[in-house]
Amino acid sequence: MSTSSPRRIRAVRDTGDVLAGCVLMTASAILLFYLVPNYISEPPILQNPMMSPRWLPRIVGGLMLGFSFLLIVQGLLVDNTGKDDGRRIERGTRLRFAMMVVALAVYVVLFEALGAVIAGILATLILFAAHPVRIWWVYSLAFVFPAAVAFIFVKVMNVPLPLMPF
Amino acid sequence: MEMFSEVLELFLSLDNFIAIALGVVIGVVVGSIPGLTATMAVALALPFTFSMQPVAAILLLVGIYKGGMYGGSITAILIRTPGSPASACTLLDGYPMAQQGHAKKALKTALYSSVIADFISNIALIFFAAYLAKIALNFGAPEFFWLICFSLTIIISLASGSMIKGLLAALMGILLSLVGLDEVYGSQRLTFGNYSLMDSISFIPLLIGLFAIPEIIEFYRKKALPHIKAKASGVGMTLAELKRCLKSIIRGSLIGVVIGAIPGTGATAAAFISYSDARRRSPNRDNFGKGEVEGVAAAEAGNNGVAGATLIPLLSLGIPGDVITAIILGAFMVHGLTPGPIMFQENLTLIYALFVGIMFSSLVLLVVGSGAIKYFSLIADIPKSILFPIVLMFCVYGAYAVNNDTFDVWLMLGFGVLGYIFNRAAIPAAPFLIGFILGPMFEDNLRRSLLIGHNDLSIFVRGPITWFFIAITVGSILLAIYRFVSARRQLRRDTTQEAS
Repeated sequence: MSTSSPRRIRAVRDTGDVLAGCVLMTASAILLFYLVPNYISEPPILQNPMMSPRWLPRIVGGLMLGFSFLLIVQGLLVDNTGKDDGRRIERGTRLRFAMMVVALAVYVVLFEALGAVIAGILATLILFAAHPVRIWWVYSLAFVFPAAVAFIFVKVMNVPLPLMPF
Repeated sequence: MEMFSEVLELFLSLDNFIAIALGVVIGVVVGSIPGLTATMAVALALPFTFSMQPVAAILLLVGIYKGGMYGGSITAILIRTPGSPASACTLLDGYPMAQQGHAKKALKTALYSSVIADFISNIALIFFAAYLAKIALNFGAPEFFWLICFSLTIIISLASGSMIKGLLAALMGILLSLVGLDEVYGSQRLTFGNYSLMDSISFIPLLIGLFAIPEIIEFYRKKALPHIKAKASGVGMTLAELKRCLKSIIRGSLIGVVIGAIPGTGATAAAFISYSDARRRSPNRDNFGKGEVEGVAAAEAGNNGVAGATLIPLLSLGIPGDVITAIILGAFMVHGLTPGPIMFQENLTLIYALFVGIMFSSLVLLVVGSGAIKYFSLIADIPKSILFPIVLMFCVYGAYAVNNDTFDVWLMLGFGVLGYIFNRAAIPAAPFLIGFILGPMFEDNLRRSLLIGHNDLSIFVRGPITWFFIAITVGSILLAIYRFVSARRQLRRDTTQEAS
């Protein structure tokens, strides 16, 4: 005869923490066993192992490995999902998010090719349209702000930016 | 006398006055816009300071910090959205006051309390920073090594949620700070042959990416919410009310000073401690939480009392107490200055000029705050859909301006995505930044100690100062473990109670 208990034991209390712990554990294992030996060169003569360029990354990697294991344990034993820690959001439309990604791509891909002003205008227009902003005059800000801010950077603060493609 | 005239000569420049005024205005404006934080504003303003004189540059950032601290309370009072975590306490009485038609009174109370607390905090900064720096002149590499160890353990307190996540964030920050050429041997560390990484990861793209980009990503990922209208109506604070609140304001300011001087403790704790202290002592304690003017005053005094005091460990020891002071430390470094006891010896005029400017910023805050109260509701009304595209533009321009390299824009976006993942996984970003700043200092002082001691580890326990720092480091770790265990016990008790 079996009875169903009201206090069932769940295998994973907080999936987010377990997932984060697994990702970090993998990353720290890669760091410790692959990146540190292959991508940090050590001088042939060392007076003290603590002086080695590999010493601190190794310690950090080891600690990360240990703490990510603890995070997994925490996720298995403690339920933090009820906490208001900013993890839960009500998602918007995919188009809105995709348009933001396009705006970011415009900046990184076309910033030097088109210049700060034109890339700024394009990306700002895309972001206004993504929300969408329904007040028509606001779109004029997409032309005014990139030009004005670039002007302040270059002419007032003497911080160079690629202004125009020509 | 000669020093006095040098200080005045350095401070009495139009650039400095403009920097303070502009900084406070930007801080108040940004702080009063829901979704934009003082941290974000300070990070975005940093690239603008490249061509400025060091005093003007630091004063601009300090002005933004102080303005932002007050600005955060405006949205808390008007639309129940704290501009910063520290303003969450102001909301408890500020918003009920606004609902009762006393929004202007609440805003004025917040302003006067902020200015008084800021002034007291500045005085504490002037008195204690020089004194502490004088003591720190006796420190050598081993003492600084332990001081940094202590600061790293205090990072745990910056982790608002899970201690483990805070530690992991700090470790990731330390790890990324090690990317680049090793300073002693010149060997490459995790650069993967990329020339842009050889000079280590740029601080500004990291900063902007971590604190501004995640907000933008989250805004476009979230469902668009209706915009809440704000209104600053009613009458201002009377002199009698100010007199009634004065004791709470002074007590709150002193609480803020003590808490602010301890790295990692933060303005939020100061605001809540000051609030509960005022509630305990006030004859109107029953009215707290229902729109009590003294509640707003105490919360804001605690919150702003921290502002000047957080600069004490930064200026005297070179240790940032919170995220904003970490950014200000970055600004010092951009201008070739290293805060700490040596700066008190080599650049004393600059430090005193900064002190004069910081004192002056309290006055500017009063003038700006008083003059602009009626416009706050207009500022708070600007929708994020208009603001965030402009903020993103500032981010990209600022990141690119560091080295005139698109790689920094990529780096900023990479850190933005990392910051967003941190938000989603509830991993705090503040320990990451502090770890990134303290990592190289930790390694540098460790190696210098080993070189001084000819690889003899007994140099790390060479005298009473090192023992003192070892003791407080161990104490800090034990305290963190105790807090962690008691929080878990409390959680378990709550869960058991809910289940029963």
